[in-house]
Amino acid sequence: MGEYVWFHDVSWHSAYAIYFFVIGILAGLSFLSYGSWLTPALRPLREKAAYISVVLLGVGGALLIADLSQPLRFLNTLNPFYMHFTSPLAWGALNITAFGICSVLYILALRSGNEKRGKLLALVTAALALGLPIYTGFDLSVHQSRPVWNSPVMPVLFVALAIASGSAVGALLAGANESAQKVLREYMLWSTAAVGVVLIAILGTTSYGGSAEGLAFQILTSGTMGLIFVGFGILAGIAAPVALMLLVPVGKQQQGVLMISAVLILVGSAALRYAILMAPQQMQTLF
Amino acid sequence: MSEATKASSPATAGNPRKRRFAMVVDTRRCIGCMACQVACKAEYDTPLGVNRTWVPYKVTGKYPNVSRKFLPRLCNHCDNPPCVRNCPVEATFVVEDGGFVLQRYERCIGCRSCMAACPYNARFMLPSHRTYTPITNVVDKCTFCFHRVTQNLVPACVQTCIGRARVFGDINDPNSEVSYLIAKNPTQVLRPEQGTRPHVFYIGADRNQTEFGRDAYQKIEVMEPQRSAFKLHFNI
Repeated sequence: MGEYVWFHDVSWHSAYAIYFFVIGILAGLSFLSYGSWLTPALRPLREKAAYISVVLLGVGGALLIADLSQPLRFLNTLNPFYMHFTSPLAWGALNITAFGICSVLYILALRSGNEKRGKLLALVTAALALGLPIYTGFDLSVHQSRPVWNSPVMPVLFVALAIASGSAVGALLAGANESAQKVLREYMLWSTAAVGVVLIAILGTTSYGGSAEGLAFQILTSGTMGLIFVGFGILAGIAAPVALMLLVPVGKQQQGVLMISAVLILVGSAALRYAILMAPQQMQTLF
Repeated sequence: MSEATKASSPATAGNPRKRRFAMVVDTRRCIGCMACQVACKAEYDTPLGVNRTWVPYKVTGKYPNVSRKFLPRLCNHCDNPPCVRNCPVEATFVVEDGGFVLQRYERCIGCRSCMAACPYNARFMLPSHRTYTPITNVVDKCTFCFHRVTQNLVPACVQTCIGRARVFGDINDPNSEVSYLIAKNPTQVLRPEQGTRPHVFYIGADRNQTEFGRDAYQKIEVMEPQRSAFKLHFNI
């Protein structure tokens, strides 16, 4: 009656957010596995992190392929005649493949006990793992017509999220190992704080933007999406774990405090990825 | 410098040896009959729930001075198309002669990256089941009726438009009707700030529709004063 608008479906659904979450954790775990060669306190995590990282790569890859409407054509992304390097997805496909190959070689090196080759492959795997959150960030930021996504700090945000969520899973894996927990506490604290700083920057520029940015800000901070983004993402996922880790003095932290912080960081990073993926798309569904 | 010349690619703008097709939509002439939408559906067997072209409208003003503003929409066949840049397998591409942005259905992997990239929402995913056409589960969009234009016909929506609101032609030809309309009328393009250099030009487009409004999620309240006035006037 008042108006007729055509409702457009969002392009990327929640499967993509789960993929971002999984790929962030596996990248973070790869950093930890390499870190164990440099920081002796992380040594107990070396094999665990490498194995879980490969398993998560399988889960993430399956999610990504299943999300395509032509799943079997995922091979087109690796066809040299079809590759289109202006798209971050083309780089991402190569990065994931290279990471998968290196991860398997790394695990084989770990199993064979070849320390020299293991350290080198850990470095290469970690470098390729760094490319994963960077490409997922670019995957969003190249869409310059979407507020929030078009922020140039998006790859930085995804790297910080990857370190935070990887360290959180590491903290859960480390169990009662005090020396590992101490190192992981630092990682979690600083990376979560970095996520917070980047989010403040993004929210600030979004709220001062034009009408599209204003609408995206409104969606991000109100209603159900507001609960997910502000409630679960910022308050539960950043403010609460940072407060927990800071307020309880170092050395007197019980294992439980760190575990709770790790779980909160994981919940928050999943919520943040979902909200950042979905909110800027919702804004455009009625345009 | 006209809007068309400013908005076009430097390689083709004003070059009569290179064709660059464009559409001019004169919204003052659009009566909202949706015949263009139906013609397009018939031409391509476009399934239910998705459209290559659509005609949204908004009621503006306050009763009794209200009017219905139409804004026919379609792919803008940009000179700098973000969908082409973002496709990981080059399933979408630009035809140099004419500037058509087309889709290779057999190559599309269905990642929907092009849909996310398009500022105009011109792309959509074809459903998995269709009655007559075997092309399914890939991204589709308006082709500017490439198959008709290459046979010297105008697009189906232009052919059927009863108000002659849609005009199609080569903007590099100074004698074409689109060149004349663009030269003689102030025109707008959608979301020019995106730098896509779109080739669908609007005459008399309403800002209520071309821009994002903060009232997008409060549609019911928008018409309440008009509805009350109508009821009051007719004693309903």
